[in-house]
Parts: sequence; structure tokens; C-alpha cells
Amino acid sequence: MSEVTTGIVFLIILLLLFGTGIELGFGMALIGMVGFAYLNGWTAAMQLAGRDIYDVITNYGYTVFPLFILMGQIGFNAGIAVRLYDAAHKFIGHIPGGLAMATVCGATGFKAICGSSAATSATFASVAIPEMDRFGYDKRLSTGIVATVGTLGCIIPPSVVLIIFGVITEQSIGKLFMAGIIPGLLIALFFLGVIYGWAKINPKLAPQSQKFPWKARVRSLPEIFWVLMVFCVVVGGIMTGFFTPTEAGAVGTFAILVLALAKRDLKFKGYVKSVTESLGTAGMILMLIAGSVILGHFIAVTNIPQQTAEWLVELPIHRYFVMLLICIIYLFGGSFIDDLAFMILATPIFYPAVEKLGFDPIWFGVVIAITVAVGVVIPPVAVCVFVVKNITKVPMGEIYKGVMPFLISLIVVGGLLFAFPQLALWLPSVFFK
Amino acid sequence: MENKFDIFLKGVNKILTVIGGTALTIMMLLTVSDVILRAFGHPILGAYELVALLLAIVIGFTIPKVSLDKGHVIMEFLLEKLSSNGKAIMITFTRLLCIGLFAIVSYNLFLIAKEFNLSGEVSSTLKIPFYPIAYCVGVCCFIECLVLVSDIVMVWRARHE
Repeated sequence: MSEVTTGIVFLIILLLLFGTGIELGFGMALIGMVGFAYLNGWTAAMQLAGRDIYDVITNYGYTVFPLFILMGQIGFNAGIAVRLYDAAHKFIGHIPGGLAMATVCGATGFKAICGSSAATSATFASVAIPEMDRFGYDKRLSTGIVATVGTLGCIIPPSVVLIIFGVITEQSIGKLFMAGIIPGLLIALFFLGVIYGWAKINPKLAPQSQKFPWKARVRSLPEIFWVLMVFCVVVGGIMTGFFTPTEAGAVGTFAILVLALAKRDLKFKGYVKSVTESLGTAGMILMLIAGSVILGHFIAVTNIPQQTAEWLVELPIHRYFVMLLICIIYLFGGSFIDDLAFMILATPIFYPAVEKLGFDPIWFGVVIAITVAVGVVIPPVAVCVFVVKNITKVPMGEIYKGVMPFLISLIVVGGLLFAFPQLALWLPSVFFK
Repeated sequence: MENKFDIFLKGVNKILTVIGGTALTIMMLLTVSDVILRAFGHPILGAYELVALLLAIVIGFTIPKVSLDKGHVIMEFLLEKLSSNGKAIMITFTRLLCIGLFAIVSYNLFLIAKEFNLSGEVSSTLKIPFYPIAYCVGVCCFIECLVLVSDIVMVWRARHE
């Protein structure tokens, strides 16, 4: 068997192995090790497995994960999302679809400190949906926006998806963060437009809610101000080169912690809960990365990335169609495995092709982040939709009817990014000269 | 019903979680202190290497915890279609594969630690020896094997009960 054929056979075995319910990170490590042993002998393969795991968990670059995850968890447990929603509610709650729009604004603000999509959907499912129910909002609109709004976390910094992409492809996390800002805000704007239009066409979907006096609105401003401050310090610090991404994560976490303690929003128990949950998520992500590093060493020996690159470059179609094809593969693969896990698995294979096709790696990172965002709301593995279903007990079919217009918004922004790559590349080009 | 083995594993996991959580808190405080002191021209010597070694404690000590909490990403939908017997066999099969993987990783981490110890490999600034970290992570991988064994025991015990 040639090396490429060996690689393909082992990748097929890996997909079959995933079907047995093995942990995806462990499956990748196992197939990487066995495949490497097949080509280079067992001694080298076993040493590779031990060495790769040691290298991943002692790599300074990977310290960025637990710190940014902790920042989001502290923000989550301190109830920052709830107060951001409350502030947005007071400002725009009274306009057509205002409560759903407040969900988008609150989530956009919360995304500036928390990268987890599922945590955002869970928070807003418990807070925003009961409020929308109180004013008689249609279930399709209320559950649809809450299930989709979490996806903003894939794109708006500090997005875990962008950090993982940066780590795998050795691209600047600072540049990726900057590149995610405009597309992320554009998606939020599209969501607002969809809600406004939907509520205007069918006012019964979103009956008007109470209007708050300016005094109440102004009182809710400090919450927005503090979150914005932390976001500016984190992103600004990376942008000016004053921080490494790890330092930005630590400073952001510390700032959120001090704020939460000063305002008595977080007790010791809440901090312990945040740390314990962060350990779980960071451990899960780093085990996926460690598995993909071991598999990556095997894949590199098989020459599959180079062959894939050559094959894709020689396809008789425009390079944007090739990119579309890559996105569809990510969506298809992510639907059957897990979007984040598939991204970790597939990026080392497709990245050389993307470079060879002349695409900007930073732009590709944002395109993949939007693809993952689409992936987390489409079946069969739609984490955010499951979260909303479990909390609200609304049938999946009903939620999907509401998700559809927002899903289309995500795809439209993805399309705009293809047509105007500057949407992602302009900010990094201004700040990282 | 929990037996002594499960209670032992949960106890060990709790200790590892406390150590991992403390390491994460130290990692944050150390990094913030370094940033602040650096702004005044007095960075903490070797902060980067300390943070990297702390990551080994944070993640290494968390490996068994994530498995015990069933926190890893898996493809469930095919497994759910199997009969309870088929599911038990499949879980046993995957656990055995993972035990093999972690036994190999654990053994090789001990070898790496031994090599570090013999060659006297230390971090560049603070001269911290690497071998204790490699030994610790090796032990954690061995504990992961025990967690996986307990999964098998639990599946078959549940079937008999």
C-alpha cells in the first residue's frame, strides 16, 4: 500500500471508530499512533504518543485556553449575561421585536467575554425566553433567536474556535480576534434586521412590551461600560503587542473576577464552580488537540495534506468554489462528528491547500468560524438547539422554524465574506501593520 | 451502589481537581502579576516557563476528571441505536482500546521522565527540572486507565443488577 492509501484507509477506520462512541480525542490519538506504527514501527509510534501529549500540555501557547475559558465561566456564574440583557431590554425592549433584539444585544456584549455558545444559549433560554413569554412572543421567534445567538461566540473575540484555529495553523491569535469583530457585529446586525422585519410583517409574533424611563436606562449603563472596558483591555492589549494572548486571557479573567467580587456577584463557591467547569472544558479541548497532534504526525508522513492540496489546486473550477467545497466538507463532517472536533481534525489536512490556492489564512479562519457557527445549529449535532429544547421543552421542529431565518443570515454573512474579504481583513491590516 | 474502587477513584479525582484548580488560579495570578510588574520594568523572571509547567498540572491532573464526568466529545447517535447488550459490548471495546492507549502513554511518559532525570534537563531560566512534571502526568494517565476500568465494571455491574 502506498503511503497515501495507508493514510486514507486509517482515516476511514478512524471514522468507523468514532461510530463506536469512543472519545474523539482518544480515537484520533489511537489511530495516529497505530498508523504511525504501521509506517515507522511500534517503538517510534509509542514514543511519539507520549512525547506529543507531554509537548501539548507543557506548551505555553496552549495556556490561552484555560484562561479564556475561565474568563467566560466567571462572567457566566457572576450573572453578567443577565444584566447585559436587562440593560438592552431597558433601551430597546419597547420597539417591534424589542425583547428578541435585546437578546441579540445582550448576547453580543456577553460574547465579548465568553466564548462558549452553549453557555450563552443556556443563559438566555432561562432569562430571555420567560420574559418574551410574559409579553406573548411567538415561541418560534423566542426559541429561534436564543438557539442561534450563541453562535456569535464562534466569531466575536475571544472566540475559542478562532483560538484553536490560530494554534493549529500557527496564525496570530490577535489578528484572528481583530478579523472576527466586523463579521461578528455584521451577523448581530443581520439578526436585529431579521427580528425587526419579522415583527413588522407579523406584529402578533412580538407584541409591544413596556417602555422604560431614561432614568432606568441610564442606571443600567455601568454594566455595559465595564464589559466594554474589559473587552477593550483584552483586545487592545493584544493589538498593541503589550500582551500575549495568554496574558490577555489572564488579565481579562482577573478583571472580570475583581469586578464580580467587588459587586458581590460571585462568592467563593461560584469561583470554585467556574474553575471546576473551566478545567473540564479546557481538558476536553486539549485532549482533542493532543489527539489531533498525534494524528497530524501520522497524516504528515502519509503526504495526504500535500496530495489534497495538489488535487484541490488542479480542480478545473474557480478557487472560490474550491473554498465553498471545503466549507461544505466541514459542515458535512461536523454534522456527523462534532463541529469543533472536525475542525481540529480537518484543518491540518486542508490548510496547505488553502495556502496554495492563495487565500489569506486569517480570512480562512473567519470563514471556518462562520462555518462552525452554522454547524452548531444544524442537525444532527446542534448543541445550542438541544440546550434550548431541554430548558424550554419546546419541540425541536418548532425551534427550527424560528432558527431558519437566522441561519440564513449566517449564510448570507458567509457569502458577503467571500465577496468582500476586507470585512475580515481590514481591521487586522489597520492595527497589525 | 458505589464500591470501594469507585469511592477511591472519586476521592483521587477530587484531590486532582483541587490541585488543577489551584494551579489554574496561580497561573492567572502569576501572569497578571508579571504583566503589571513588567509595566514598571520588573518582569517576573521565568514567568513563561512557570506558566507552561502549570499548564501541565492543570491539564494533566484534569485528564481523569474529564473522563469521570463524561466530559469528552463523543458520537452518541450510533451507540444509542444499539441494544443494551450491544451497547455494553461496544463500551467495553472502546474502554479496552483507551486503556491500551493510556497505558502506552503513561509508560512512555515515565520513560521520558527517566530520560529527563538522567540527562538533567531543566527549564532555561529558573532551572526547574522537567522530570517531576513528566512523572506526575504519567501517574495521571495511569489513573485514567483506572477510570476506564471502572467504566467497564460499572457497565457490566449495571447489567447484572
